[in-house]
Amino acid sequence: MSDSTNNDVTGGGIDPALWRGLTQPRLSRRQALGVAGGGLAAGLFLDAAAASGASLPNAKVGTPSWWKKQKLHHTVNFANWPLYIDTLKGKYPSLDHFTKTTDIKVNYFQVIDDNTSFYAKIRPSLAAGQYTGYDIVVMTNNNPPLGYLIELGWLIPLDHSMMTNFNKYAGPLVKNPSWDRGNKYTMAWQSGWTSVAYNSKQVKDPGDSVKILFDKKYAGRIGMLSDPFELGSVGLLALGIEPATSTESDWAKAAKLLQKQKSDGLVAAYYDQSYIQHLKNGDVWVSQAYSGDIYQANLSNKYKDLVLMIPKEGLMMWTDNMCIPLYAQNPKDAMTLMDYYYSPVTQSVVEYYNDYICPVPSARQQLLHPTSWNKEALASLKPEIGLPYTATANSPLVFPSGREQKLTKTYYQFKDQAEINAWTSLFLPIIQGA
Amino acid sequence: MVWLVLLFVVPLVIMLSLSLKTCNPASGACTMTWNWGEIPHQVNLYRTEFFTSLEYGAAATLVDLVLSFPIAYWIAFYGGRKKNFFLMMLLVPFFVSFVIRTLVWEFILSPSGFFLTFLRHAHLVNANFHVLGTGSAVIAGLAYNYLPFTALPLYVALERIDRRVLEAAYDLYASRREAFMRVILPLAVPGIFAAFLLTFIPAFGDYVNQQILGGTSSTMIGTVIQNTFLVTGDYAAGSALSVVVLVISLLGIWLYSRVLGSRSIEEYL
Repeated sequence: MSDSTNNDVTGGGIDPALWRGLTQPRLSRRQALGVAGGGLAAGLFLDAAAASGASLPNAKVGTPSWWKKQKLHHTVNFANWPLYIDTLKGKYPSLDHFTKTTDIKVNYFQVIDDNTSFYAKIRPSLAAGQYTGYDIVVMTNNNPPLGYLIELGWLIPLDHSMMTNFNKYAGPLVKNPSWDRGNKYTMAWQSGWTSVAYNSKQVKDPGDSVKILFDKKYAGRIGMLSDPFELGSVGLLALGIEPATSTESDWAKAAKLLQKQKSDGLVAAYYDQSYIQHLKNGDVWVSQAYSGDIYQANLSNKYKDLVLMIPKEGLMMWTDNMCIPLYAQNPKDAMTLMDYYYSPVTQSVVEYYNDYICPVPSARQQLLHPTSWNKEALASLKPEIGLPYTATANSPLVFPSGREQKLTKTYYQFKDQAEINAWTSLFLPIIQGA
Repeated sequence: MVWLVLLFVVPLVIMLSLSLKTCNPASGACTMTWNWGEIPHQVNLYRTEFFTSLEYGAAATLVDLVLSFPIAYWIAFYGGRKKNFFLMMLLVPFFVSFVIRTLVWEFILSPSGFFLTFLRHAHLVNANFHVLGTGSAVIAGLAYNYLPFTALPLYVALERIDRRVLEAAYDLYASRREAFMRVILPLAVPGIFAAFLLTFIPAFGDYVNQQILGGTSSTMIGTVIQNTFLVTGDYAAGSALSVVVLVISLLGIWLYSRVLGSRSIEEYL
């Protein structure tokens, strides 16, 4: 959803009817999943106003002169996913430190547990031109809502003059990402990989390929993810296709492979987060899995047998992005907070708790040799976490080495709603049965 | 009356009108297009899931009727002064959240759970036997979760049978079996039907049991509706499917009132 895409759509003035014409013939039986059968006209990626070249609601927002007028209000409302920040006895050490040093009070809400449903909650406010109640929200790049927010002009462009830490410390995986060129609207909170995990007690010969998910040996013991974007991507990897540059005919091939996998009885079920419980129980032997879950499971002696595979086909990397929704009341406070989390000192504390892929590679040194307030914060977290700092610092799942970085793949970047519909109409029916 | 309009009629009208609109999944803006074709289109798309739901809902209701009739009968006729206590015991597990109860069943039925482990060690089932992820697990979950909805109306029906009618039957030399078949059962029919509706309708639209206990080929319509709203964000399609589910449920209630009179359903609610 880069700037250039935006221009293609608005400036290029593609007639919505053209998209319809281009997409209609290959509508599958299930096409109407995404868009009502009446036609795509109203279901297009952009509102009619945006497509006809009228300015987006954020046209005059987020410019340098606009940012100059903003003032600190000493409060910021931050919406994030649960269990995603350093937590100690109901308090958040890194946020407390932020408040102490900047005098900005943070109201931290752990209210996001799904991109689409959270988007549905803030959308009415945005459509009505009202404050959503949050100055920062965290949205994932592998789901449509982040793209919707960008395309509809519902995010405030960031103030790059306030991104000193970001410019200095952000790692290559999150700087100038494909979903937001030049970090115009977003800064990564954390990233993670979606890969394959197996139970080494049951799987003796795992190999290093995602094809294990299609191995008849494990029929009925294979878990797949119920997110259509994750499911489709692993299908593409198994066929040796790069998801980011794949075409619709590739998607159809992947869907066919995954449909066969299901009709051959290989799949135990399509899971949301619950796959991890089934891996732990031992009724699922090998499954699509999120890196952070496996890392955290390994912390317990009971689940040391769960292994995250680094498949030769690649690791899908998703990123949760902080962004400022339009009409936010405290944008300057939000910028201050977002950049604060790009200090290696802050990240060292977050990562010791979180164990996802760190957006700041140099936080590793701060974990090994804390030099600032993080010394005290890390020491206070230690009894709770019960691991040496080196465990986090040396984990490739938190600070990926060159090899893992090279294997990292990005998701397909949808160009319009018709593409999203094409994708979901291929992969959702596999998950939903029939 | 005001409440009825506000809490039932208004939401239903909104749902019906939404199903006739065309929505933009990005901005959420819906425009009225009087798209009546959406409903048959969705039904056509998810015919299998509708039939699965009907099948599972009916099976679970049947299981519940068979299971809870003896329970209700026993409490009504032999509960004595402890009737309320027994009814209470029937309801105690249902103070726990619906989802938690279902998750516990997942734990019990899991292949590595104690129940199946025991059966395997006793060589009663082979190593690959599993319950979780099958249609039977979903039916079992539905039957468990909706049991009180069957048992209570049955109890009410049996409890209010005039005992003198029974005595009269025995005086006329009816055997116990005959008394049951020709007196108790006919008098319990409205209760059975109420129990059927109260169990079948929620079981038909249920989406929790299938997701937790079901596998890859047992999707119910409730799950599809949930996904339509939460995964694809297509409110029009979701509303259209909901309208169909509602119409099926209303048909059941209409049939009930036609066959047994509309007054009797209120007595059992």
